[in-house]
Formats: sequence, structure tokens, C-alpha cells
Amino acid sequence: MDGLSLHKKIEENTGLLIFGILFVSAIGGLVQLLPVLNQDSLDTATVNSHLYSAVELTGRDIYIREGCHVCHSQQVRPLIAEVERYGPYSRADEFVYDRPFLWGSKRTGPDLHRLGGKFSDDWHRIHLLNPRSVVPNSIMPAYPWLAEREASETGNITAKLSALTVLGHPYTEEDIAGADAALEGMTEMDALIAYLQMLGTSYQGESEL
Amino acid sequence: MADLPSGFWAGWIAVVTLVSLAAVAWLTYSLYFQSDDSEEIADEPVWDGDLREGNKAPPMWWFWLIFAAMIFTLVYMMLYPGLGSYEGILNWSQGSRIAEAYENFDENFAEARNAAAGMSLAEMQNDLQLMDTAERLFARECAACHGPEGRGQASLFPNLHDIDWQWGSTPEQIEQTIRGGRNAQMIAWGDILGEQGVSQVAEYVQTLSQTPSESHPGRAAYQQYCVACHMPDGSGNPMLGAPRLSDDIWLYGGDLDTIKDTLTFGRFGVMPAFGERLDDLQIKLLVALLVR
Repeated sequence: MDGLSLHKKIEENTGLLIFGILFVSAIGGLVQLLPVLNQDSLDTATVNSHLYSAVELTGRDIYIREGCHVCHSQQVRPLIAEVERYGPYSRADEFVYDRPFLWGSKRTGPDLHRLGGKFSDDWHRIHLLNPRSVVPNSIMPAYPWLAEREASETGNITAKLSALTVLGHPYTEEDIAGADAALEGMTEMDALIAYLQMLGTSYQGESEL
Repeated sequence: MADLPSGFWAGWIAVVTLVSLAAVAWLTYSLYFQSDDSEEIADEPVWDGDLREGNKAPPMWWFWLIFAAMIFTLVYMMLYPGLGSYEGILNWSQGSRIAEAYENFDENFAEARNAAAGMSLAEMQNDLQLMDTAERLFARECAACHGPEGRGQASLFPNLHDIDWQWGSTPEQIEQTIRGGRNAQMIAWGDILGEQGVSQVAEYVQTLSQTPSESHPGRAAYQQYCVACHMPDGSGNPMLGAPRLSDDIWLYGGDLDTIKDTLTFGRFGVMPAFGERLDDLQIKLLVALLVR
């Protein structure tokens, strides 16, 4: 069969044309996505993987709600300049419990993947209230309302933990039962800071599966 | 970590990639070199002049473009990892790239770094280039809290230019502060002292920089609760991070209201540990800069 007759056949048969288009567009996915979905290193927890506590998970949801990931990435790339500035480059097993991942695609501000422990809680608090009070040339917006809102009203934390359990996150019954109590009396800012202070701190080093 | 695919999926990637490459090659070939004017296409509609479906090849420069891209693809597939578990002739990986970058770094800077590591702090301070590096390091790691010039900020982060060093100003103490961090523990005295007691002690603390009166109503409570860390004369104790109260330098503020807040609610200043983030030479450079 030569190219022209095949071309004619496909062009005159809509069903075949649709199938052909879908098949050709699927090839990239078949090569790039399908094998990766079956690759253990991307969804097997190691010592580097950190299961978010109820407070950290709430902080993470606030991070997403306020759009922090729009200006801050969470992936240190394997380049010497990045490793020198931020710390060890990000490994796949650090993101096992990230749903969704927050790698980001643009750095208007610095990368945050190794932020945990670099600043004190107090610094984060005044920086979130008004970034200019500690970094004079910062262009980051202020987030004063975080200090006024209750972390327990961010969302239904019990339901979130239960949903993640379905996806294989190993929360225990006690974790879920105690989630509401853990958020008791916390502001959204406290929860967000708990999340920021945890970022990158579980990294122990290259790990074998 | 096993980063290259293995087993079935490695074969799958290689086969699907090569088969689709071959299919593109065949499609290109058939478009360019199988066009004909035979009867088979005689009943095709005429689009323009003698142009019918399939009787003329597209412009040849397209062909050469596609041809070059396919050659590039084949060469790339041979040199770099891409076909399943095949590592490529160059043996390239992201991990080896950064390892190589560090080798280059060591090659270029090992001598200068060793020379600096052998210097005394005074020698470092006289080396303008090293101090320049130290200042950049300070801007990157320290300025966010201590301010771009190290003059302190926000009534929370200490001024590093004054003579009052809460945790001590010797090179050894500063190095320990940078490396291990510091956690100040001024507990809340509001419940113990009561509202009146807090006011009296705060007023007494304010007089420590002058000659405190022996009969001051806050003196007894100060002598009972505060001297263990801040000393009877308010000179402080850098071992505990207890600041000197007998000078005019106040981290959180020296007005009566602020001192009352400090007494009532306590203060828990934190200096994060940088021992993991900075290497020995970087810490030494910062110490040299700070004691200058």
C-alpha cells in the first residue's frame, strides 16, 4: 500500500480518521507517561518522604489557596548554582505525598523547597504580615488576613485526611480522629508557618528503594 | 535511585520510539518520492493548474529539514539516554553533570579555599576580596533577618554593629551561634509577678542603666526571679543568652510598655542553625566579617 491510497482511505472514513488522530497523539503519552506511571521510584515512600500532619496539610492548602506556588517554585534543580544557593537538589521520593505537587513553573520569588528552618517563626510572621518590614526591596504582597482567620475553618480536615487515606497515605485512625484537635486555637498563619518550616527538612540523602 | 526504566517498560519505550520514527520516515518518503501522475489519481479534483491530490511533492527544503531532524534524532538517541534502559555513548546523567560541575569548582577554587582556610581571622579581614565574598554571603544568608547592613530589624532581630551581643561576641561564641543556632528562653512572668509586680519590675529594670535605688519596689522581685540569668547588676549572661539590661540597647524596645510585655508574655527569640547550610569556610568568613 502506498501513502496516497492510505491517505485517501483515512480521509474518506471519519471513524478511521478520528482513530488515527487519537492514536498518533497518544504515542508521546505511551512513551513518556505510561512507563513513568509504572515506575516505583515515583510513588514509593522512603525516609525522604514526609507525611503531612493535619496542621501542615492545612498550611499547604492555604499555600495553594493564596497562590504561593504561582511565584515560588518548590524544586531545586540539579545544577551547582541552585544547590549552592538553596541546598540539596529535590528528589522524586520527596514528593510522594504531594497531591497535587507544587513544583511551580516560575520564580518571581525564590525557591522554597529547602526553606524549613532557615528563618524563625517570628520572621515568617512579620514577613507574611508585611514583607517590606524585613526585606526592604521585596515585591511580595502582604497576607495580613491569615493572622485573623481560624485554621479550623480552612476546610474539613477530617474529610481531607480520610480522602488521602483512600489514595494510600498511611494516616492512622488516631491521626484522623485527632486532626480537629490539632488545629484547635491555631490561626491560618500558624498553620502556614508550620508547613513552611517543614519544607525540605525530611531530606536525609540519596536513598535506595 | 533507579532512574532509568527497566524490564518490560524499557523495551516498550525503545520499540514504540523506534517504530514511530520509522513510520515518520516512511510517511515522508511516500509523500516525496511516490507521487505520480498515473491514472490512479486522474479522477482526483484539480486544485490549481495541474495540481491534484498526490501528484506533486511538497517543497524540497521541507524534506531536508525533516531529514536533518531525523538524523539529529538518531544521533541524539545514540549519545544520550532515551531508549529505555540504554545509557547512551556519553553516559550522561543529571547526577554526573552536577558531580562534574563540583569537580570543576574544586579544581578552580580549591587552592583559594585552602589558602583562606589557613588564614587567621585578622588576615581574612585584611583581604578585601575575601571580605567582599563574606558580604555577599551575609546578604544571601543573614540579611533577611538582620537587615541588609546588619543593623537589626523589626525590633526582633539584633543589630550586629553595636557592642551588645546577647550570646557573646568572641569569635568562638559567634561561630557557635551561626553553626548551631540559638533559642532564647525568657519565660512568661505575668502569672508569677501579677500585674502590679510586672509594672514594678519593669520600672526597676529601666533604672538599671543608672544607679538603681535600693528601696525600689521592684527590686525584691528582680533579685528573686531575674538575677539567675540577668545578674544582680543587670549585666546579663551570654552563656544563657540573657541580655545586658544595664545599657541603653534594647532588642525588643526599652520603653515601659514593651518591657512590661516582655515580662508578661516572655520572649523566645530564635537564631536558626546554619551548620548544615554553610560549610566551615563560609562560617569562618562570616565570623571574620562580624568581628571586624
